Amino acid sequence: MKLCVDLEKCKLHGQCIIAAPKLFGFRADGSLWWVETIDATQQKEADEAADVCPEQAIWIED
Amino acid sequence: MLANDVKDAPYINLDDPAFSIRSQVVRDARANSFYARTPYGLAILRYNEVGELLRHPLLRQGSYKWPAHNRAAGLFAEWWVRMLLSRIGEDHARLRRLANPAFSPKLIATLQPQFVAIANELIDAFGKKGRCEFMSEFSEPYATRVICALLNLPHERWRELATLAADMGLALGVTYKADEPVVNKATQSMFEFSRALIEERKRNTGGDFISLLVQANSTDKDALSDQEMDDMVVLAVFGGIDTTRNQIGLAMGQFIDHPDQWTLLSENPDLARGAVEEVMRTRPTTTWVTREALEDFTYNGLEIKKGTTIHLFAESAGTDPAVFKPGFDISEPRKQHFGFGGGTHHCLGHFIARGDMTEALKLLARRVRNPRYDGDPVWLPDSGNTGPVKMNIAFDPEV
Repeated sequence: MKLCVDLEKCKLHGQCIIAAPKLFGFRADGSLWWVETIDATQQKEADEAADVCPEQAIWIED
Repeated sequence: MLANDVKDAPYINLDDPAFSIRSQVVRDARANSFYARTPYGLAILRYNEVGELLRHPLLRQGSYKWPAHNRAAGLFAEWWVRMLLSRIGEDHARLRRLANPAFSPKLIATLQPQFVAIANELIDAFGKKGRCEFMSEFSEPYATRVICALLNLPHERWRELATLAADMGLALGVTYKADEPVVNKATQSMFEFSRALIEERKRNTGGDFISLLVQANSTDKDALSDQEMDDMVVLAVFGGIDTTRNQIGLAMGQFIDHPDQWTLLSENPDLARGAVEEVMRTRPTTTWVTREALEDFTYNGLEIKKGTTIHLFAESAGTDPAVFKPGFDISEPRKQHFGFGGGTHHCLGHFIARGDMTEALKLLARRVRNPRYDGDPVWLPDSGNTGPVKMNIAFDPEV
């Protein structure tokens, strides 16, 4: 599965990093990195990040 | 502006009870500089800077200093420094992760029919009269009963909870010192209420927020201690009531001032979601949030010393003419406002607040036609956390 972030919508609140610290993080320059390809074992965490995003900028594609 | 010019930056006297966040002083300051001096540290006035500093890694949430700034003592102050908003780092993340599922958009969507039912029931009581005191007859019972729905509480208890929340809320007002005994007494009652509720949910565990906390606490006290559980329940009740009550009152005020927008909303209920955003952009109840510098650093030429308090002006950023076309227009696509704060401490309850205010505005616009003030409304000071105290309105009676 593909984990996607709309960087136009993303306001870098970092809620995804709190919800799913293994899948999202900030780089030293403050920009967002994330794991783009995930497997079924990571889906629950990815779902939680997508749910919690205040801007609803995260989604999962099959 | 250069770093050595801080003393020349505009000065904004936040301490003055007559100070207004929407005054010309703030508008002029914003035109001249992205920051201003205040009695406690700096104020940030423009959209881009507020957005960046809300989530700046060298700033922490600043509200934990509130008891120190106000020489506050007692139960409320003790709770305040322990609760989620005052926590940082992994400690904050652990509590936030625990609370998040209860506030997810999917879960909130299931409450939508209850929002509609509550709003209709409240409007039924005054719709044919053509007048009401909007805060006590709609805004306050609505905001409180939404919390009852979220926490699965009997709705008959709304008034008791609303009173406790309002008394606790005096802590954040300008007359705090005089109100301290009332604040602490209400906090004690709120803790008693919360502990009784927790005991009840231990016997009857369901799918609500309190039950979720009870389960986490009974599984692993390191994940959620007894104290943290009590503190979180108090926060859920207190944090959800006063803010939403005030924000809905501010919304009604905005629409009374812009009757064409009310008509537009009544004819296009799908605009209600955008209407909530437009109200919060132009008239947020939380007019600013605070941060504190964790170390010395320079931002856009401004030297910020460790320990400096920084007020991020949500209202001033939301009406920044460099970013927003002037006016109040619910059909205009706008950039995101900062009415829910931002960064790590972004409002936990924003999905429920957005959801319940959307339904409230949709139904109010349909049923409360041609609203106008019936006498002068009474407002909290136009700074800090603001909103109407009393708002008598008249409108076309329902037939």
